[in-house]
Amino acid sequence: MNRRTTCVVMLVLLTGLAAPAIVAAADEIVLGAAISQTGKYAREGKFYVDAYTLTVDAINKAGGVKVGGKPYRVLLKLYDDQSDPNLSVRLFTRLVTSDKVNFLLGPYSSGITIPASAIAEKYEIPMVQGGGASGKIFDRGYKYIFGTLPKAELYFQAAVELAAKLTPPARTAALLYSNEAFDRSVAEGARQWLKDARIDKVYDEEYQPATQDFTSILAVIKTKNPDLVLLAGHEEGALNFIRQSQAADLNPRMAVFTVGPPTADFRKTLGKAAEYIYGITPWLPEMSAGGEIFVSAKDFDKQFQQRFGYAADYHVASGAADVLVYKLALEKAGTLDPKKVRDALAAIDADTLYGHVKFEATGQIAIPQVVVQIQNGAPVPVFAGGKMAGKALYPTPRWSERK
Amino acid sequence: MLLLQVLINGLLLGGLYGLMALGMSLIWGVMNIVNVAHGALIMLGAYLAFWMFTLWGWDPFLALPAVIVALFVYGYLLQRFLLNLVVRAQLFLTLLITFGLEVVMINVARMLWSSDLRQVTPAYAGANFAVGGLTIPYVRLWVFVTTAVLSVIFFVLLERTRLGRAIRATSEELRAARLAGIPVAHIYAVTFGLGAALAGAAGGLWGMLFPITPVMGGSLTLKSFVVAVLGGLGTMLGAVVGGLVLGLAESFTATYLGPTYPNAISFGLLVVILIVRPTGILGRAGSR
Amino acid sequence: MRGGRAARLGVAAAVVALIAAAPGVASPFIVQFIINVFLLAILAESWNIIGGFTGYASFGNVAFLGIGAYTTGILLTKASLPLAVALPAGGLAALLLAAAVGLPILRLKGHYFAIATLGVAETMREVVYNVEITGAGTGLVMPIARNPLLFFYLMLGILVAVTAVNWWLANSRFGYGLVAIREDEDAAVAMGIPTALYKTIAFALSGAFCGLAGGVFAYWITFIDPDAVFKVIVTIQMIIMAVFGGAGTVLGPLLGALVLASVSELLSTQVVTLAELFYGVIVILVVLFMPKGLVDVIRRRAFSARAVAATLREYRI
Repeated sequence: MNRRTTCVVMLVLLTGLAAPAIVAAADEIVLGAAISQTGKYAREGKFYVDAYTLTVDAINKAGGVKVGGKPYRVLLKLYDDQSDPNLSVRLFTRLVTSDKVNFLLGPYSSGITIPASAIAEKYEIPMVQGGGASGKIFDRGYKYIFGTLPKAELYFQAAVELAAKLTPPARTAALLYSNEAFDRSVAEGARQWLKDARIDKVYDEEYQPATQDFTSILAVIKTKNPDLVLLAGHEEGALNFIRQSQAADLNPRMAVFTVGPPTADFRKTLGKAAEYIYGITPWLPEMSAGGEIFVSAKDFDKQFQQRFGYAADYHVASGAADVLVYKLALEKAGTLDPKKVRDALAAIDADTLYGHVKFEATGQIAIPQVVVQIQNGAPVPVFAGGKMAGKALYPTPRWSERK
Repeated sequence: MLLLQVLINGLLLGGLYGLMALGMSLIWGVMNIVNVAHGALIMLGAYLAFWMFTLWGWDPFLALPAVIVALFVYGYLLQRFLLNLVVRAQLFLTLLITFGLEVVMINVARMLWSSDLRQVTPAYAGANFAVGGLTIPYVRLWVFVTTAVLSVIFFVLLERTRLGRAIRATSEELRAARLAGIPVAHIYAVTFGLGAALAGAAGGLWGMLFPITPVMGGSLTLKSFVVAVLGGLGTMLGAVVGGLVLGLAESFTATYLGPTYPNAISFGLLVVILIVRPTGILGRAGSR
Repeated sequence: MRGGRAARLGVAAAVVALIAAAPGVASPFIVQFIINVFLLAILAESWNIIGGFTGYASFGNVAFLGIGAYTTGILLTKASLPLAVALPAGGLAALLLAAAVGLPILRLKGHYFAIATLGVAETMREVVYNVEITGAGTGLVMPIARNPLLFFYLMLGILVAVTAVNWWLANSRFGYGLVAIREDEDAAVAMGIPTALYKTIAFALSGAFCGLAGGVFAYWITFIDPDAVFKVIVTIQMIIMAVFGGAGTVLGPLLGALVLASVSELLSTQVVTLAELFYGVIVILVVLFMPKGLVDVIRRRAFSARAVAATLREYRI
């Protein structure tokens, strides 16, 4: 090998050695995360970036976090994972080994959280995430992962119960889900709920996450003429499906989506086409919930809207809760030691703007979900806690009959 | 009834696949360049149509001529000042350089416009009409009609004009074309420009049906390969036939096998065709 | 020269020993970086066997990386087998796939072969996406390995092995046979070389090493999904590194990997998109100005502008 080239290469490698690491100053706590700021999850990812930012600023404004009597400022270090789980893994590894952040917040989507949480477990740094709901995140016996979204497998339970209770009750259902962790978990649960409600499952198919063309799928679903359509997918997929179902003239009595309806961005993008659609959420601003920093859910929503110009939804509240939970745990633990903070997190039992936060042994939260329906552009609760909570506009009028 | 709907869906989309592959087939047939950046050109066309719609409110169909001209110029310059420098190198090197171009175009697009999904949604996006139990979305129908029109214009250009004759002469026998006084470097550039223009038009139309991202081109390049090889490399009509065949194959697979299978089938088909009958449906044995 | 060869081997051994000692002095971050460079070097050297020596430019070698990764991954997670079993199994699976795929596909020439290999890689990705045992779209999470040195030495070992194979090719009858196929396949057939067999062996070897690298890679990054291990950009990376360094030479791909991976890793600490853009630009520049690679340029001392112009004149229209 040419001597000159060797020197050049050595020089290049040495420069790499000099790559600076961001070490927090003495009285700062750094929360790090790689979150989807671009790519297919960009819409949802933004909710978490904004939620983390608002909560961190609110905490600092209220005096920061008091650990062992000393006040600490909270800092955020965020990377863009471009909605790619592989990039996420690399970035989380960098956050832990090179940037040496204190604790981790979560990415969005179960598909990304499953591998990212393995990094937290590997380096024994707690990760509190509010963007991944699949049970698969929590069934590996990991000790360092906590989640504020309720179990994916339970998502459709209330909606299916509702469908069986309305008049006329739904008799047949079509189940469509994306080939991704969260959605497969939701579908697994859904099959059980449909069986329990004695609703006939006439269609049960999986689609590639990158699918943009639902024409064939819609053509087949139309021939089965289901009363109930259940779609487990992320926001982009839901948007495309609804637009194309309008073009294909599919008219079920009730259509439920795992992601979208409670979210302002979704309703705004679809406009009129969003009416009558059902969704699921563990949080609404009108809920009676409140705690430290944000005295009520409504107050949180108000502050959020003031700062970011759009209404908060459960993703936002969940992200805010994640940051808050660290404050509570750190103050309880009285130390920055990851192992002790991990134990404090596991023992959390507190009221917050997001509701009551208590993690089960697996690390996942257990909170009830509410079925909402979009009426006049707003999500209206129609079914909660096993009983009707509002009037559902049922059955959904045909596309041609809507104004 | 489902059968008929699946058939129609397949044909409507297949027409667009054919248009996509036409550009690739042209460049391959004339200059023996396999343009791996083909999908990136489609992507550029889609973004162009998107920005004209979003910033100036131009209807995507009406914006097509602008997209075609812009991509033609871009393609011409690319060939004239870059690809002409390596066009007689080993096949593998031309393949590699177009690969490099693709990576550059995708990442520049990512830096300029981010990876967020974009969509062109004119007011008539959801409209459809029903005929005898079939539902046909207007946009798909108009896309199909447009691809048919563009294909016809292209064939007329290639068969009936002096330019077309010059292109065909250059593809058949380079030295003779040179001796006849044809400015080969210029003709090559025009050919690539045409191929790029076709890709751009396909992109503008694609963007009306599906979300647009910087990485959308990758699978479209592969689909164009499948179509071009399926129909018969170097035969333009083959591209159209191949496109319809692929559209039908995907539609039937998605409906009767399951929505997650169409891609696997397309690529599997590519490999099988290459092994069994590399000249494709309409190709002549011994042709490039 | 006999003496020269012994001296060269001695130097090579010394270099390897030096590199092997690196984890003792370098920071964990640098160790990660070096492991990544090793991986790319293995891929470049593997590609060199079929692309450089034999002249069959495969554009789908990432398929073997993927199969190796998934085989090892599935055996580690679903069958709870130890790495000592799962890893060789990954390499074996890749070897068998390459041989099986190679038999029909190696009959194709030029563009057709390249596209067919691309098709194979894409088909593999789609198949893996659809099959339950691979975890489909969700991917596989490996058992957590807390010893980074394991990966360092595994990758180093595989790299030494594949480079040794390349060296053997440059100095054996089998290798000369491959070169004959590259230069003029019809003449090679006329000379009595069993071309189909030789090509398949070369392809299988190439695939096997990609598969081994894939197995280690899967365990190393703890998580794989179809998009991670069947990435088209990886194929471009291995080709351009081999071409940049010198396709068909023994150390060329290694050199190419070292230089290009280093710069790319530095760039990707800033923005990942920049790193990819860098590769694209490098590819274009290399094809234009030094298509025969760095080793060739150094050997011929062809640094001048005149040499570059000569290359261009050969290829332009």
